[in-house]
Amino acid sequence: MGLLKWARRKSPWIIHFNTGGCNGCDIELLAALTPKYDVERFGILLKGSPRHADILAVTGPVTNQTRDRLLRIYEQMPEPKYVIAIGTCAVSGAPFWDCYNVIGGVDKLFPVDVYVPGCPPRPEAIIQGFVKLLKKMEVEGDE
Amino acid sequence: MSREEEILEKIKESFGDDVKNITIKRSRRMFAETDAKHLKEFLRYARHELEFDHLSAITGEDLGDEIELIYHIAYQNAIELSIKIKVPKEDPRIATIVDLYPSAGIYEREVHDLLGVVFDGNPDLSPLLLPDNWPKGVYPLRKDVSLEEIREILEKGGEKG
Amino acid sequence: MSGSTIKVIIGPQHPALKEPERFILETEGEYVVDVKVRIGYIHRGIEKAMENRTYLQGLYLSERVCGICSDAHTTCYVQGVEELLGVEPPPRSRFIRVVVAELERIHSHLLWLGIAAHEIGFDTLFMYVWRDREVVMDLLEIVSGNRVNYATNTIGGVRRDLNGERIQKILKGLKVLEDRTKEYLRMIEREQTVLKRTVDVGILSRSDAIKYGAVGPTVRASGVKRDVRADDPYAAYDEIPFNVIVEDGCDCLARIMVRGREVLESIQIIREALKRMPEGEIRVRVKPRIPPAEALSRVEAPRGELLYFIRSNGTDNPERCKIRTPTLANIPSLCKMLVGGYIADVPIVLAGIDPCFACMDRVLVIDREKGEAKVWTLDMLRRYGREWYRKR
Repeated sequence: MGLLKWARRKSPWIIHFNTGGCNGCDIELLAALTPKYDVERFGILLKGSPRHADILAVTGPVTNQTRDRLLRIYEQMPEPKYVIAIGTCAVSGAPFWDCYNVIGGVDKLFPVDVYVPGCPPRPEAIIQGFVKLLKKMEVEGDE
Repeated sequence: MSREEEILEKIKESFGDDVKNITIKRSRRMFAETDAKHLKEFLRYARHELEFDHLSAITGEDLGDEIELIYHIAYQNAIELSIKIKVPKEDPRIATIVDLYPSAGIYEREVHDLLGVVFDGNPDLSPLLLPDNWPKGVYPLRKDVSLEEIREILEKGGEKG
Repeated sequence: MSGSTIKVIIGPQHPALKEPERFILETEGEYVVDVKVRIGYIHRGIEKAMENRTYLQGLYLSERVCGICSDAHTTCYVQGVEELLGVEPPPRSRFIRVVVAELERIHSHLLWLGIAAHEIGFDTLFMYVWRDREVVMDLLEIVSGNRVNYATNTIGGVRRDLNGERIQKILKGLKVLEDRTKEYLRMIEREQTVLKRTVDVGILSRSDAIKYGAVGPTVRASGVKRDVRADDPYAAYDEIPFNVIVEDGCDCLARIMVRGREVLESIQIIREALKRMPEGEIRVRVKPRIPPAEALSRVEAPRGELLYFIRSNGTDNPERCKIRTPTLANIPSLCKMLVGGYIADVPIVLAGIDPCFACMDRVLVIDREKGEAKVWTLDMLRRYGREWYRKR
C-alpha cells in the first residue's frame, strides 16, 4: 500500500528526548511540526508517553545526566520500536566529542535506525529522515 | 577626568596598597588585585560607596599552587571592574559575598562545583552542574586533570545516575 | 492538591519526558514557599574543552553553546579574542554584526512568544507566531546561508557580505514582521485569557531586580533601563540610534510586552544599520597565536547580558575561557518571583525569564504539610493552572 496511506492508518507516535543539546535541533524539529513544514501530514504525532511510542527521536550529545533516562525511555517502549538520531550530536557527539560530561552519539547506547546529520538539520532534512524511517517501518511491518 | 580615572583615584585613596595594580585597560574595563582578606571590605566599598550594584560573574582559574578568583562587578551596567584574589589550592576558601550581592550564590556554587573552592557562609554549595554520581574530589576545571583523565575516571567509576 | 510532594517535570518544549528533578519547590496549600535549583542536564564541559582547542575551533564550539542565541555567543567570543589581539574589525563588519544580532533577537523573541502562548494554553497564537517566525528564519538564511547557526562571525570581522539584493529582501521581510508583530501585541493586550494569567503574576520589584542581578528583558520589565547595547556599546551600536525598551509592570505581562516591543525596535535598528552601513572590507586577517593578555567581552543576547572572560597564554589555545550565560544570571530572580506565588503560575513565571530551556529542565515540588510524593508532568501542571484560573 502507499506510504501515506500506511502512515495514516498506522499513525506512528513519536517521543522526543533532548539529551543535552543546544536546542538547535529541537527548534528545527518543532519547526517541522508547524504549518510551513507540517510533518503531521505524514500521520506522525508527537506524544508524551514512551509506553505508546513507536519512534524515539533523540537530539543532543547524551550527557552523563541524561544517559539513564534515555535508556529508561528506550526500555519502556514496546516492540517494534525505532530510533531516529536527529543532528550531528545525536549521530556522533561532535563537536562535543571530548567534553568531559558527554558520552557521544546515541548508538553508543542502543541501535539507531535513521541518522539525520546536520548542525542542525533543516526541517526538510528531518522530514526526509522520518520518511525514510516510515518506509523502513512499512517494509518491516509487512514482513 | 574620566569616570574610570575618578574610580581609580577613589580606590587608591580608600585602600592604598591593599588594592594593587589598578589598571584601566580601555574605556569601561578596569582590573585590580587584592588579598583574600581585603576582598569583602573592598566589595562592600564598591557596592555602597562606588555604586557598583551589579555582579556580572565570578571566574575561577587554577594557576597551579593557587586558585585565582575574579569578581566582575559593574557600575551603571557600563564600567566593568574585575577584582582578582588568590587562594591556596591546598585549602581554597574565601568568605561568601552573598550578603552583598545575592546573585553571588549561584556563581559561587558553580566555582565550588567545578574548581572546589569553598565559600564560607554560602547557605547552599550543593552541586549545581555536575551529576550526582560525579566522583568526589575531581574538579574538572582544574588544570591538573586533563579531559582524557576525567573520561577515564568516569568510565572506571561507572555512570549510574 | 495539598498534601503531596509533587514532582513537576519540565522538559524541553514538550511534555512528559521522564527525567530527574532539577528544581525543587516547597509548597503550602496553593503557594510556593521555597525554591531550590539544580541545573546541569546539558552541562557538557565546554569551558574545559575550549582550553583544548585553537581560537578558531573555539568559535565553532561557542556557536553551539545555545542554538537559539548562537550569534550572541560568537559575537561575544570574537570580540573578546579581537581585544586580546588588539585588532579592530572593519567598520562594515561591525554593522553586519548588528544586522545579524538583531535578526537573531527577533527570531528568539518570536520563538519565545510562541512558547509563552503555549504555556497559557493559547496554542493558536503559538502556531501563528511560529509561522511568522519563518519569515525571519528565511532572512537569516538569506544573510548567512543557514537557518540556525549562521557562522557569520569570524575573528577579525564577518565572513559574508550583504549586497543590494539581499538588503532588499531583508527590508521586505521586516515590513511583514512589523505588521504581524504589531497585530500580536494588540491581540495580547486585549485578550482576557492572557491578561488573567499574566497581570500581577511573577512580580519582581525594581529594587529586587537590581538586587538579584536580573538581566535582559527580565530586568527591563521591572522598570530598570539596562541594556548592554546602550550602556557598554559594542559592534556598531554606538553609531545607531535606538531605544531601550522598558516596562513598569514588573509582572509576566510586562515581560511579554518588553519582548514584543523589542522585536519592533530590532526591526528599526536593522533598518538604521542598513542605511548607515559604510563601504569597505569585512574582515582583517589575524594571527592564530595570541600573546598573554585578558579580555572581558559583553553583549546583550536576546535573554540578557552575556559575558565571556578570555585569557591567552602565547599559544594557539586559550588559557581560560569563562562563559556566563544570561539564564544563569536570572535564576536568583526567578526564585524570588516564584516564592509567594501560586503553583498554578509556575509554568508562565518560568517561561517569563525566557530560560534557555536546556538550562531549565526539572522541577520538584514538595508540600510541607504532608510530604508525600506525586509525579506531575508539565502538561498536568498547565492543565491544573488553566482549571484553577477558570474556577476563579
